[in-house]
Amino acid sequence: MASKKTGLMDKWKAEDKPVKIDKWDCSALKNALDDAAKSYEKNQYTVMTENFGFKEEHRLMDLRLLICTVAVGFSLFALVWDYIRPFPESRPILIICVLSYFMLMGVLTLYTTYMEQNIFLVASDKDKAGLEPDDKWELASTLKKYTHLYKLKMTFTNGKTGLSRSEEIERPVNNYFDEDGTLLFKLFEPEVRTLQGRIAAASKKE
Amino acid sequence: MFGLMEADFLDDVRRMNKRQLYYQVLNFGMIVSSALMIWKGLMVVTGSESPIVVVLSGSMEPAFHRGDLLFLTNHREEPIRVGEIVVFKVEGRDIPIVHRVLKVHEKEDGTVRFLTKGDNNSVDDRGLYAPGQLWLEKKDVVGRARGFVPYVGIVTILMNDYPKFKYAILACLGLFVLLHRE
Repeated sequence: MASKKTGLMDKWKAEDKPVKIDKWDCSALKNALDDAAKSYEKNQYTVMTENFGFKEEHRLMDLRLLICTVAVGFSLFALVWDYIRPFPESRPILIICVLSYFMLMGVLTLYTTYMEQNIFLVASDKDKAGLEPDDKWELASTLKKYTHLYKLKMTFTNGKTGLSRSEEIERPVNNYFDEDGTLLFKLFEPEVRTLQGRIAAASKKE
Repeated sequence: MFGLMEADFLDDVRRMNKRQLYYQVLNFGMIVSSALMIWKGLMVVTGSESPIVVVLSGSMEPAFHRGDLLFLTNHREEPIRVGEIVVFKVEGRDIPIVHRVLKVHEKEDGTVRFLTKGDNNSVDDRGLYAPGQLWLEKKDVVGRARGFVPYVGIVTILMNDYPKFKYAILACLGLFVLLHRE
């Protein structure tokens, strides 16, 4: 971070605090590892290739946020409308709101299972000259219930050729957390680095 | 003040970015919304403004006891008949009453007037109606009982009797959803 701001939001952030979680909580484990992989990717790019624009793409998550917002909007509208025009009168509007809400919930389920899958980072690597299309990096992960295996999948799509290559690792989560549930970033980082190295090496061969 | 904000259980939230924070709020909103929309959906299907009610008094024993859960419908075209159990509102009373229909007068023009009584009460409901009111009309009806589940509603009664208990539980659940990440 270049500028040292000391606003309330920055004080509130817990970036310097070691990541300590409840190690029996599956989603907390997954979130901690996802965040670590994400921050590794980001840091690496800001440090190593400062000239290149490495930008996190938020489109995938933004669309999910939009779907949720519209759905909650429908229910809020139904609530207000039913308050202004008590029940029998508000029936047609209620029907519309209820149907739209449950349809949007269906859309949300489809979206998260088929579009978002388990992708938690999409980043574009801008071509320096700005001529070629951007290269794309994607990170996806799974940690199935009742297992201790964390699967991290990294996909690289070459903007020019459109070829994509993915590599994945599957490791027990206990490799990266100590007894108290503190994330050991130093043990996790090399794994992500080798993953990236493998993709880079393979892409070069082509 | 800041000491509390540094507490460990807030770490999850503190590490979130703007989008994740917003999603957290939305997630909470969607839980509430789902419950609300199911309720409104039931209203539309049953035609009753309150499709599920809890029996609060013993005035309908032995048919219904305190804490029974009743399912209501209120379709316009179904006529009200003697012997049916109706849920109705009386002006000036917040809580709807569940009682049986005793007498019905129907006119040619479709207006209906009827009198109710609790099975366990020794007199009819005229004493419960608004001052001067002798009959109930169709607009007073919330719904007619179509099914029931015994005793499930006792939780609701407990919550109503101890409002602090209710708010404490709601606050805990709300905080858990807001602070806990997926």
